[in-house]
Amino acid sequence: MLNRALPLILTLALFVAACGSDQFQIDASAAEIFPGECVDDTGEEVTIYSGRKENLIEPVLDAFTCATGVSVQVRWGSSTQLALLIDEEGNRSQADVFLSQSPGPVGFLESKGLLGTIDNNVLRLVSEDNRSSQGSWVGFSGRKRVLVHNIDLVAEAELPTSVFDLTDEKWKGKVAIPGTNGSFMDWFTVFRDQYGTDVATKWLNEMVANDARYYPNNRSIVEAAGRGEIEVGLVNHYYNYQEMVAAGDDHRAKNHDLDDDDIGSLLIITAATVLKSAKNSQAANDLLAYLLTAPVQSYFTNHTLEYPLAAGVEPNAALPPLTALEIGSVNFDALGGGFDETARIIEASGIQNQ
Amino acid sequence: MSQTRAPRELQVIGLVFALAFAFPGLYLIWRNFTSGADPLGLLFTNQTLQPFWRTVRLAMLVSLSAACLGTALAWLTTRTDLPFGKLWRIVLPIPLVFPTFIGAAAFIRTLNPGGLANDFFGSIGINRTPELRGLLGAWLVLTLFCYPYVYLPVAARLRQLPGSLEQSALVLGDSLSRTFRRVVLPQISSSLTAGTLLVFLYTISDFGAVQLMRYDTLTRAIETNYLARPPTAFALSLILLVFAGLVVAAERSVNRRLPEVKTHRPHEAIKYELGRWKAPAILLVGGTFTFSFLAPVAALLDWAADGVLRTQRGGRPLTIDTSKVVEAAANTLSAGVITGIVALIAVVPIAILVGRYRDRIGRFTHSVVIATFAVPGILIALSLRFWTLRSGFLGDLLYDSMAILIFAYVVRFASLAMGIALVAVTTVADDLHDAAATLGADRWRRFRSIDLPVMRPGLLAAGGLVVLSTMKELPISLIVAPIGFPTLTTRIFGSFEEAFVAEAGIMALVLVFTSALLTWFLVLRRVDQL
Repeated sequence: MLNRALPLILTLALFVAACGSDQFQIDASAAEIFPGECVDDTGEEVTIYSGRKENLIEPVLDAFTCATGVSVQVRWGSSTQLALLIDEEGNRSQADVFLSQSPGPVGFLESKGLLGTIDNNVLRLVSEDNRSSQGSWVGFSGRKRVLVHNIDLVAEAELPTSVFDLTDEKWKGKVAIPGTNGSFMDWFTVFRDQYGTDVATKWLNEMVANDARYYPNNRSIVEAAGRGEIEVGLVNHYYNYQEMVAAGDDHRAKNHDLDDDDIGSLLIITAATVLKSAKNSQAANDLLAYLLTAPVQSYFTNHTLEYPLAAGVEPNAALPPLTALEIGSVNFDALGGGFDETARIIEASGIQNQ
Repeated sequence: MSQTRAPRELQVIGLVFALAFAFPGLYLIWRNFTSGADPLGLLFTNQTLQPFWRTVRLAMLVSLSAACLGTALAWLTTRTDLPFGKLWRIVLPIPLVFPTFIGAAAFIRTLNPGGLANDFFGSIGINRTPELRGLLGAWLVLTLFCYPYVYLPVAARLRQLPGSLEQSALVLGDSLSRTFRRVVLPQISSSLTAGTLLVFLYTISDFGAVQLMRYDTLTRAIETNYLARPPTAFALSLILLVFAGLVVAAERSVNRRLPEVKTHRPHEAIKYELGRWKAPAILLVGGTFTFSFLAPVAALLDWAADGVLRTQRGGRPLTIDTSKVVEAAANTLSAGVITGIVALIAVVPIAILVGRYRDRIGRFTHSVVIATFAVPGILIALSLRFWTLRSGFLGDLLYDSMAILIFAYVVRFASLAMGIALVAVTTVADDLHDAAATLGADRWRRFRSIDLPVMRPGLLAAGGLVVLSTMKELPISLIVAPIGFPTLTTRIFGSFEEAFVAEAGIMALVLVFTSALLTWFLVLRRVDQL
């Protein structure tokens, strides 16, 4: 009898446990950002479509609710899919705020005219380089492009200083490229914007001719470098730190910074936007401002090892310092329109079959 | 076969369902028109044809291997004295619940230094681990996680078949293998083709495994183009859907020529003694269990253990707590079970229209339901958002509700139940119906007292497929679910994307054991047709 009833009881227990208390409480990591007593619920709320994942931002949102009494509703997802959803929903979207993990989806929504204007006092919290000149988006953290390398297969002295070195015979079959990954496509669009489409296309085609290897995303390249499947790879700096935290000395790969003024050192920002159709635009702007406060920026750099963009917060000591050149002078607004061509060039290069 | 015309109300239900299931297809056609896409022009370019042929090649290989493996496992677990029978019946359907992106990752990451396979290779003196990728990698992972599409319906069918024919063949001197070919195979063939079709369609719609294995199929091309070149993405998706429709039609025409087997009631099937074949049989079943269940579970345990140990050593703490995991597990379980039930309710009338009345409307609806399985989940999700936003009052009512989520899941997965339900319907002997009608039983009474008992094993297998598949679904769970309704898969995805591997591992384990709990429950309750 018990044999029969046990699964049923366990199942019921799951349901009962799921209906816990609904008192607003914050955990330790949120309390690190906002150590005070939670203020009373103001009845205001803000709805976020977040391409930035729970693990990276949930404590921040909890701290925001605790500090302001504004409740937060979140639809989690991939930045690309959420941008498609907002496009499909048009001005009837529930979303007030869209948080994107890379600039591409923001450019897509901007080209569709779906982004509203962020308050000036919020925009001013970050430097001009890291916000839209039209006021449609503001960066709140950054990931730097680097060259990840296996430390047993490649000596530090042999590492290049520029992405242009990687087309050399010496690197034949040794470089991994996340060809169809969103942040790589963003990077390539900026590359085209800076050097001209001809130079960028020639570089990519030469990489393919030099037997560059295709991987679907940054994470799988960092893993592959770690197990010596590939010598070096073009990725953003974030994933190698994650692997080192998880695997320690077992992980046999390190980040290498290319020259500061090289296109391979670009800072790719994560961006916050307020939608044109936002019903709670005041609360939305308050939330964006909160993302740019010192405690939150410190949280980002200390817990997720990204580059802070506001409030004079210094990058975590483990991160190599950023120079002005890396951030400056890149016109991210050009990204949206240039996407179509970027996808065509990448597809035509054949990198996805390498 | 009854030659009577289908009841009018059943035809109306069929038409309504056809419309409901056509939402994603109609949306795709609409988007192709409005975005200025050119599917015909795109069809004969290298950009399309190369990934297209790769898709076809992979789907054929996976279908073939999953069909062989699924049938062998079904036969061994239902017709022989294989030891630990109950254990196999609980665990063999479970690989279906691994989302392919996490299943493929489990295989790849285990080759990393510190990973289990890497340690193993190192201990036997091999220092460079093999690179798992391409056609081979995608084929391996998809076969290991898709064979239940064949195993479940074929096992349900075998358990139901009368053993008398087989016994006669054996008594008359046919060898076991000849009996299998001439007697068993024809009787299970309609379940086998229905299951294999699902494997084929799943493979052409899969993104998770082919992406991580770096095998460039159509779904990758679609994914890359969503933002950059929406018309191309929509055109490629339409090509995929039309191709799926053709495959479904082909399967229908093959299936119609297959013999039908009628049953009066569930039979006690005959059991063979394995004898000297016991060891190879255990090796096959155990091997499948090892690679499609134990190996990925061990890899996930490894991820989880690393994270817990790291936290205890004072490293970075885990970013999930028990209440979040429990909430996600409860959401996953309830959505899965409800979807399973609703899918059965939707599918049985269509199966009756097709199987009993050979009704044209029924056949049309059936093809729409099945072909929809090849539509990538994200497009089903977007299409439902599109239609609810354009349907006025009804849309407002359904927007962001559980009802629309369940509806989306049903549209995505009812096809899984369709083929098996159809076999179940055609199993019901007509003379029983005729006798009952003569005795004055109305249609509803006949359905309850004759059809349901005979169809039950098939329907439970069908429901099981839907439940397990729903529990791993990702894009619909992200886009259509009401805000604040996390499922295990959405949490796994969020964690794994940003390399929070331990968190992803813990939640994937909870997903596997929640589904094990479910199949254990069904097996113990002696509805052990799973």
